[in-house]
Formats: sequence, C-alpha cells, structure tokens
Amino acid sequence: MNAPGLAQRLERSGLSRRDFLSFCASMAAVLGLPDTAGQAIAAAVENEAKPILIWLEFQDCAGNSESLLRAGHPTVADLILDEISLSYHEMLMAAAGSQAEQVLSETVRDNAGKYIVLVEGSIPAGADGAYCTIGGKSALQIARDICGKAAATIAVGTCAAFGGIPAARPNPTGAMSVGDAVPGVANLINMSACPANAENITALIIYYMTMKRWPPLDQYRRPLFAYGKSIHDSCERRAHFDAGQYVEEWGDDAHRHGHCLYKMGCKGPATSQNCPIVKWNEGTNWPIGCGHPCIGCAEPNFWDTMTPFYQRLPNVAGFDVGNWVDPVGLGLTGLVTAAVAMHGIGEVVRHRAGEKSSDNSGSENE
Amino acid sequence: MTRPCSENTPMHRVYVWELPIRLTHWLIFVATIVLAATGYYIGHPFISVSGPARDHFVMGYARSIHMYAAIVFAMAVFVRLYWLFAGNQYARLTELVPLSGRRFRSLFHAILFYAFLRREPDEYPGHNAMAGSSYAMIFSVYVVMIATGLALYAVGTAPGSPFHIFNNEAPWLYGLQMARLIHHIGMWIIFIFVVLHLHFILLSSLIDRTGALDSMFSGYKFMPNKEGTARD
Repeated sequence: MNAPGLAQRLERSGLSRRDFLSFCASMAAVLGLPDTAGQAIAAAVENEAKPILIWLEFQDCAGNSESLLRAGHPTVADLILDEISLSYHEMLMAAAGSQAEQVLSETVRDNAGKYIVLVEGSIPAGADGAYCTIGGKSALQIARDICGKAAATIAVGTCAAFGGIPAARPNPTGAMSVGDAVPGVANLINMSACPANAENITALIIYYMTMKRWPPLDQYRRPLFAYGKSIHDSCERRAHFDAGQYVEEWGDDAHRHGHCLYKMGCKGPATSQNCPIVKWNEGTNWPIGCGHPCIGCAEPNFWDTMTPFYQRLPNVAGFDVGNWVDPVGLGLTGLVTAAVAMHGIGEVVRHRAGEKSSDNSGSENE
Repeated sequence: MTRPCSENTPMHRVYVWELPIRLTHWLIFVATIVLAATGYYIGHPFISVSGPARDHFVMGYARSIHMYAAIVFAMAVFVRLYWLFAGNQYARLTELVPLSGRRFRSLFHAILFYAFLRREPDEYPGHNAMAGSSYAMIFSVYVVMIATGLALYAVGTAPGSPFHIFNNEAPWLYGLQMARLIHHIGMWIIFIFVVLHLHFILLSSLIDRTGALDSMFSGYKFMPNKEGTARD
C-alpha cells in the first residue's frame, strides 16, 4: 500500500515518477523550502503513514471543495490526497445517509486524537444551530464533537477561518469561524481565501507529513509560508505602483498597459496571501494578473471591510464613510477656518474697543 | 478692558517651555507637514506618470519620505509624552487634562473669554486649560496615528523584523482597511487642530502681545510683575 501503491496509481493515471518528483519540488517551492527538500517530501509521501482526513462541510458554497477538485485531469496532488485516507467528504464519498454518518462516527471513534479535520464553511450558532444540521445534529454540535477529538483542525476557506460571507453584517444566522465555535480547539490552522488555494492546502498537508509538525503561523493562525507576505509586496504590478502609474478607469490606457490597480480599489496592500506567486488553476493566472483588483478575500471581515471593492476606503455601519472621509474632512477644515476667521474679526473688534475705552478712561483721569 | 500690558508695564521673564518641549514641538510641526503632504498623495495618487516604470519612483519616494518623517514624528511624540511626567510644571499631564478645580475654572474662564462673555484673559504663563485639553486630545490622536501607521507598515515587514509584531494590531483594529480609514480621519482631525491652534496662537501673539509664538523658540514668556495675562 506504500511505495508500490503510489507508483501503480501514478502509472495508471499516466503520470511518471518525474511528474511525482517535480510535484514534490513544487511543494517545496510553495513552502519556501530549498530544492533539496523535494527529496525529503518525496520520501515522506512514499513511506510515511498517511494521516486520516475528515472533511466537514457546513454553511458555505462548496467552493473550497471545487477549488480542491479544480483539475481538469488528475494531478499528482489529487492522487496524494486520494492516497491519504479521506474518510469522510459529503460531496465526494459514495456513501450517503446513515451509512455515511456511521463511517464518520467509526473513524472518529477508532482514530480519536489522531485524525485531521478540514472544515469548510462557517458555523451558524443562531437559533440553537438550526440553520445548518446534518443527520439531525447541528453544525455547532458536529464541529465541537469532531474537532474536539482531532489532532488538528484546518479551517479551509474564509467562511471556516473567519466566518466569511455568512458572518458579514448583519449576520442573520449568527455564523462564526471554527476557532470561535470550538474554543481551544487543538492545532487550529486557518487557510483563508475565497476559495482557499488548493496548492496551499496540499502544501500544508505535505509539510505535516514531512516535518511531523505544523508550520509557523501569523496573527490569524494562517501559515506564514502562504500568508507571510502581502499581495502588494509580491505583486507583478508593484513597479507601476512605486513609479506612480495607475489605472484611472476600466479600459483606459494604463489599464491596457497593465498598470497598478490601486486607485481602482485594489486591496492587495491590506491582504496577505501568496496568490501572485502560486496563482490559480494550476498556475494559469490570478485576479490582478488579468486586470482585476484584489478584493481581499483572505482577510477577516472581508465582506464588511474590503467593500466597496472598487474604492480605497471601507464603509462603516452602512454609512458611506470611506467615500466621503476626505471631502468631509476638507469641508470641515474649511468651515473651521471660516469660523476662526470670524472669531478673529471679533477679537480685533474687541481689542480696538478696549483700546478706545482705555484711551477714554486715560483722558478722564488727566 | 483690563489688558494691563503697555510699553511701560514692568515685566519679568518666566522660563515656561523647556528645550524638549520646544524641540519636539517643531519636530512635530515639520513632520506633520511632510506626513500630511506625502500621506495625501499615498491616499490619492494625483500624479500619474507615463513611460516605462523604471524611469519613475513617485509613489516610492512619497512612501519613503512618509516613513522617515513618521520615525521623526513618533520619536518626537514619544519624548513629548515622556515629558508629561518628567517636565516642569507647565509641561505636565495635569496641565493637559483639567481635573483639578483650578484647571476646571481655567477651562471655563478661557471658553467664556473667547466667547466674548468675559473681559479678562486667563492669567497664567502656561497653557490655559482649554488649550491644554486640546493638546491632550491631539496627543491621543497622534498615538492613534502612530498605532494605525505601524499596523499598515507591519504588513510589509518580514517575519523576524522588529516591526513584524505590529501585525498583531490588525485583529484589534477590525482589519487593515479599518486602520487605513482611521488613519485618514486622524489626518483631518490634525488639520482642524492646526487651524484652531494657529488661530489662537496668532490671537495671543498679535492682539494680546503675550509673546506666545516667540516663547516656543526662546522658552521664555514675559509676565507683568504683579498680574500677568497669558493666553496660549
């Protein structure tokens, strides 16, 4: 089931060992490791015991599953993930109904403290969790039960990591992130973005298989290898930003020349992810690469603070603050200037009157 | 009107503003102008250049200057805040936040005076309590500006940089876009403060002849021997 199993599977899918090794090298690159780490990764994938994965799906659009399965043809990554025992994935597994739930509960029972849970989607806590139930249990119950016994929980996508779109104002279902729904969950790792990049999820699992530990995380518990740098700082259009060359409207000359989208509301400066490096759809392209500003989908509260997408500053609590803060500031400064000018005139008048009255009193004394 | 200063009034010198106060004042003054000008460009890049990107560095210079000015600004504010506790009686926190009965009276005195409801200005060489309160407010805005500025700066730093730690501000600020918005609002508050500050300084210096403007260079104010008039 180990090395021969993988080799046979690769062969059956028309993939060579060269493909496998170049996949391992590309994983090393995503992780920011040197070339030689590719060998260690290949050895780990071939020889180490495969972690048991459970994929839970709650309040979401299944976009992360789609992203993971995006490949038009089988890739090495798919095979690796097949090779890893993906015990439960509602969208992928053949079993359904009570049969499927039985598989889940058996996996959890037999592998307590050893399996890894990948959670997709936010967890609605409103109405006692009634907004999302599976097999008669609420998402909140399932998450607490299954994540609570896991070796690690990977929140896949912005919904699971930060609440995402379901948790955006006014958050009718009381949606929350996995971290909030299961306080103190062991080894929580947030793989945000809408959807999470499949390369990064694969790389994370490969890292764990190779290193036997989880990678260093940032302030939002996201791995630094994927979220350690802002999009702005690794953007291919950064030279145009620094030069002062900006797209002013869609389709203008600057847009056609691939200039910076900063003035079109690009949220690259506020968003950390490795999109410019890893890109999407097997490295085909990425949003800014095809002329659209970053919408900041990998950040917490992105629907509330990154909108309006085509504006630099956010709106707050329904007021159009971002759009107006600078004109209002300028107007207020003008008003205050006018007010103090009036006050200054008043002071001059008072001063003159004072001089006159003291002159008068002076002459009276004489 | 009882404004007793005339050419023959006997005066004495009072050392009001110590060197750190004057130095930080003018550093903050210069840094604020530079920060506002470059910051406005960073928020609204009104200059767009053409030709190959390698020939230009407009935003690059704006951001570099903004960051160096921010270092000067932050250090000056830091020293000024330290001087709230280490400075002389005119520099202390109690001068800024009107908590004592005396400072409360000074506050209302100044408000009534400037509203043309009282004839005599406050007789005190330091800040009147209205001016002091405005400084307490503006120092708080400075701290917010430094904090949000560091949060926006930290996202561009590598792990291991001493500034990387300021990434931890982002969750508290509800994300970097909120930090950016607060940074914009802060600039306008500072602008409005500058207008008011200039107004009252010029009133005090040109009309009441207290030498308030000169005192920020020399440190000395001239007070009439018995009764003085000081407006900030």
